[in-house]
Amino acid sequence: MSSAFLGGARDRLLPVSIPFRFFVSAALFHLAAWGVLLLEADQLGGFTGGPGPILAATHLATLGVFAMTAIGASYQLLPVVTRRPLARDWPTRLSFWLLSPGICLLAWGMDRSSPGAMQTGAALVCSGLTVFAMLTADNLRRAGSVAVVAAHGWAALLALVGLAVLGMLLVWDFQTGFLDDHAGLAAIHMVLASYGFMGLLVAGFSLVLVPMFALSRSLPQRPGWAQLVLAGVSLASFACGRWTGNTAFNWLALLAGFGAAGTYLWLMRAAMARRMRKRLGLSFVLIRASWGLLGISLILGAALLADLPIPNAPALFGFLLLAGWLSTFLMGILQRIMPFLASMHASGKSGLPPPPSDLTPQTPLKIHAFCHFGALACCAAGIIMETTALIRLGAVFGCVGALAFVGFALIVLLRLRAFQQGS
Amino acid sequence: MSDAVPGKHWQAKDGLHIDTRGLDPPDPMVAILWHLEQPGQNGPVTVHLNRNPIHLFPELIERGWLYEVQHHDSGEVTLSLRSAP
Repeated sequence: MSSAFLGGARDRLLPVSIPFRFFVSAALFHLAAWGVLLLEADQLGGFTGGPGPILAATHLATLGVFAMTAIGASYQLLPVVTRRPLARDWPTRLSFWLLSPGICLLAWGMDRSSPGAMQTGAALVCSGLTVFAMLTADNLRRAGSVAVVAAHGWAALLALVGLAVLGMLLVWDFQTGFLDDHAGLAAIHMVLASYGFMGLLVAGFSLVLVPMFALSRSLPQRPGWAQLVLAGVSLASFACGRWTGNTAFNWLALLAGFGAAGTYLWLMRAAMARRMRKRLGLSFVLIRASWGLLGISLILGAALLADLPIPNAPALFGFLLLAGWLSTFLMGILQRIMPFLASMHASGKSGLPPPPSDLTPQTPLKIHAFCHFGALACCAAGIIMETTALIRLGAVFGCVGALAFVGFALIVLLRLRAFQQGS
Repeated sequence: MSDAVPGKHWQAKDGLHIDTRGLDPPDPMVAILWHLEQPGQNGPVTVHLNRNPIHLFPELIERGWLYEVQHHDSGEVTLSLRSAP
């Protein structure tokens, strides 16, 4: 019976090597980001921007982990959700080979304050992102269903264009200093990257992925549209506020941001309440924690705006936004979809694919989860208390957790290969 | 959940039929798994879909169900399911 599955199920599946090269790279960049933080722990607390190892670690996380995960997942999942296969495979490989060396070069240039390396790396990264954006736009253009998810995709692409243009300007400004307000544009770049591009992809994909993993009915469309509109108002207001210096825009951005996040969390709560799967596993411990961290990041954003006396508030905000909300969410999703995708591609001598649970090594995931939360707690406490030793301890936790996650990814791949060889 | 289970279903001579055509993801998967998890349900079950449910297959394998996929020229798909012996 399975022969029909093996032929038919793959009609919208990319070759397994395509999503997995993005996912394994994300796991390796995750390790690299924590590694840089471990070596340069004393610089995190007072970080407010500018070239150096913390900026390098930040981009290893945002581009290396977040963007790589999002791109790999988009290539695999969007054609399934929109019911339109990607026109061809080779541009997906091209985007990977532009992004991977580009991210390494950009991060190395930021660490060493080398304008040439930063500019070349940024150009490669932007070229890779352009290929991704064109492929995704072509797929979204042909999408016939799930309009609210497709709309989130379009908005995320718009944010991607904005953040990429600003990123290039900022990199060139390190050498020439032609920008009047480098810090202001850097803030817009960061918000467009985190809450914009990544946040909109997370919010859009969550409308399908979270109910699918939890086995819950599809979520209502209207709140999905509301979260998109509120997120758009928030991002546009923040950009206007930083551009014009009018703080009223910033408060409007915050209010709309709370509204968007609140709507998103309400939708996720509805998915959890109506779910058929009672035992959601470790991945949802991370995903649920990430929802709390999203709220905390916005509260910290409000504290920053109100100028409340929180020690090292900018660094704490950035850390909890990136390592807290986005990293926790994406690691939860990655550990769920990697064995799932592997199962769809694998088959043994019997012709039957293995269940995802047979492809999932639990021990590395338990180590990762324990270390990830340990890293968040220690680093956040270290930033507030201005204690480098605590930040370094957190980075040790982060490195061990990241190493465990690399082990998880490799074991999934080895088990997939074993099943494909029919052993 | 039973009141809200998406799609249509009916009992025929050849077993249970589930029709999830027109539903957006993940409703087809939720409907199919809900029916398969009902006590005493061992198949055969025939499912009518308007897309190839590739995310369903790992869930079926995990639950010990065998499946056969028929693709139609219209783009629709028929799944035949039975519980593994």
